[in-house]
Amino acid sequence: MPYHWVKRSDGAPEQSGASSLEEPIAELHLWPYRSLPREGFVIFIASTCIMLSLPLAGVLGTAILWGLLPFMVAAVAGIWWALARSYRDGALTESLQLWPDRIELIRRAPDRAAQSWRANPYWVEVHVHAQGGPVPHYLTLKGGDREVELGAFLTEQERLALADELRALIAAQR
Amino acid sequence: MADATVQGQGEHGHPGFFTRWFMSTNHKDIGILYLFTSAAAGFIAVLFTVYMRMELMHPGVQYMCQEGARFIADAAAECTPNGHLWNVMITYHGVLMMFFVVIPAMFGGFGNYFMPLHIGAPDMAFPRMNNLSYWLYVAGTSLGIASLLAPGGNGSLTSGLGPGAGVGWVLYPPLTTTAEGGYAMDLAIFAVHMSGASSILGAINMITTFLNMRAPGMTLHKVPLFAWSIFVTAWMILLCLPVLAGAITMLLTDRNFGTTFFSPSGGGDPILYQHILWFFGHPEVYIVIVPGFGIISHVIATFSKKPIFGYLPMVYAMVAIGFLGFIVWAHHMYTVGMSLTQQSYFMLATMTIAVPTGIKVFSWIATMWGGSVEFKTPMLFAIGFVFLFTVGGVTGVVLSQAPVDRVYHDTYYVVAHFHYVMSIGAAFAIFAGVYYWIGKMSGRQYPEWAGKLHFWLMFIGVNLTFFPQHFLGRQGMPRRYVDYPEAFAYWNWFSSIGAFISFASFLFFIGVVFYTLRAGKRVTENNYWNEWADTLEWTLPSPPPEHTFETLPKQSDWDKGHAH
Repeated sequence: MPYHWVKRSDGAPEQSGASSLEEPIAELHLWPYRSLPREGFVIFIASTCIMLSLPLAGVLGTAILWGLLPFMVAAVAGIWWALARSYRDGALTESLQLWPDRIELIRRAPDRAAQSWRANPYWVEVHVHAQGGPVPHYLTLKGGDREVELGAFLTEQERLALADELRALIAAQR
Repeated sequence: MADATVQGQGEHGHPGFFTRWFMSTNHKDIGILYLFTSAAAGFIAVLFTVYMRMELMHPGVQYMCQEGARFIADAAAECTPNGHLWNVMITYHGVLMMFFVVIPAMFGGFGNYFMPLHIGAPDMAFPRMNNLSYWLYVAGTSLGIASLLAPGGNGSLTSGLGPGAGVGWVLYPPLTTTAEGGYAMDLAIFAVHMSGASSILGAINMITTFLNMRAPGMTLHKVPLFAWSIFVTAWMILLCLPVLAGAITMLLTDRNFGTTFFSPSGGGDPILYQHILWFFGHPEVYIVIVPGFGIISHVIATFSKKPIFGYLPMVYAMVAIGFLGFIVWAHHMYTVGMSLTQQSYFMLATMTIAVPTGIKVFSWIATMWGGSVEFKTPMLFAIGFVFLFTVGGVTGVVLSQAPVDRVYHDTYYVVAHFHYVMSIGAAFAIFAGVYYWIGKMSGRQYPEWAGKLHFWLMFIGVNLTFFPQHFLGRQGMPRRYVDYPEAFAYWNWFSSIGAFISFASFLFFIGVVFYTLRAGKRVTENNYWNEWADTLEWTLPSPPPEHTFETLPKQSDWDKGHAH
């Protein structure tokens, strides 16, 4: 599931008015889906190295070893780099935190400065654009004079489910 | 913060012709480029075989003369046999087919187009690297053609035997290192290098895409069989092509820089080259055919209107074939003087491959068994594939026996065997794929009668070409010769007639493809076969839009609980 509620309280806040809370009452993390777990990466690279070492075993101690080795090292380095780069390309994260008087979204992407958005949750609207967005059921948050996207990389069903959860959560804080 | 982009700002512009076809990073366009380029290279390679079969139709040399190559036999004119030209034809037929036709068509063409679609990925993991792979392949093909035209043999274009290197696709030393004086040999090695670099980059891209970009919920045990076949192929390429790259680099330095890796005069060993070459060469056989397994599985399930029989055994059979392919290489070289123990090991290991291969063949048959089989053109080619692959597989078990191989080694029996199992087998898989998907790729459908005519011509043609070669091999006719004694004339005549029929059917196929692209009936449905064609490409329009699955597909789109 490429989004996860680190913390969530569906009820109204115990303290009302201006917040003195340090900790958010809800926190949500979102990230693009990647199908290869880190364990899979290790298994794949280890299997590749073992298979590549097969022809080398027969030429240990000969000049031929030095003719073959650079190409094999390059092959392992190449696939290692490619998988690492693929993970890095998917290292985009969005983090949403909610306080009684403040909602904050921070988006971190590789090679970019973090971007953030803040608003008062009382005025925040959760929009799902059935049409017209770059993805089906495009999910946006509107508040603080801006409309920002959330979870554009999720599946359509995940966006719809998340929209319902967010609406309920924000409504509970009013 | 990423501000919202509503009102269709996600729409993409349409690239112009040059941008689309020369600078494309789109996996579908690159797949189509691979298919057309490999078809062009294949046409050249097939022309060579037609010329060779013309020469072998009758005993004596009628066409390949040192006085000049002819296309019409003239008994009155003098003809001194030009063995170099024959060797060149054999070499470039092999090099083109092995490196520049079958792998690019199946792995580069269908793999690029359909593997990302099957797993619900928006594109390959590295689209620009994909473009680089394709153009390296084009560069390699060009170098191969340049090598064909460059000075070869004794190094002279005019006073010698003619252009091109005549060493065979395996590039064995000392032929490659000392006997071939011209730079045609160096260009051929560079061509193979380019092809290898292209394939390795392509393999890295495919592996990364397959492993890390599958749709949510698509575990490894739910991936469609074609995507699995491309992954297994990519992994094999990654494991064996660096070995070839190392071997031919050493050949290059032996030729040009005075090293003696493969020369006994300096402590080297030409037999060691054979070991290294076949460590690459035998997996190469499976690299050629495994994507075909994937295509055939989908075609048979679709037209039997049944889920594929034994999905998991089919997956693990491919993995097992891929693994075993790496530990049987020396059955290609029983006659070089290996110990009996080594020969025994390679015999047993080779025969073991019959187990996963049998799992596949019997699973295809079991899929058809009791199904409502519809004999559309792709299905005919799939059944043809199963027949040809089985015949080739059975003769492979015969040849795996070291004592029997003593007799058959370097005879036409071997030629018949490997053409059945990997050449015409692979070609039938490609044809099955073309007919299965051409409506999806182009939005136009082929005329069914034309596809069936092509199949029957091709099926009769290839069997007439290669089945008699078993008899020639049993008679003791050696391969790689421009001429033969009268005793071998009978079956050679049939074989040549078969080659001409096959070539005619290939020309007809080219006509069918161009007719379909220009005037074929328009396809209006997403899935123009039936519900058993249930992979993700069938949820898309025909042809699919330029960008697909930019938002992840729903599990219900692909997880039908059958026929993965």
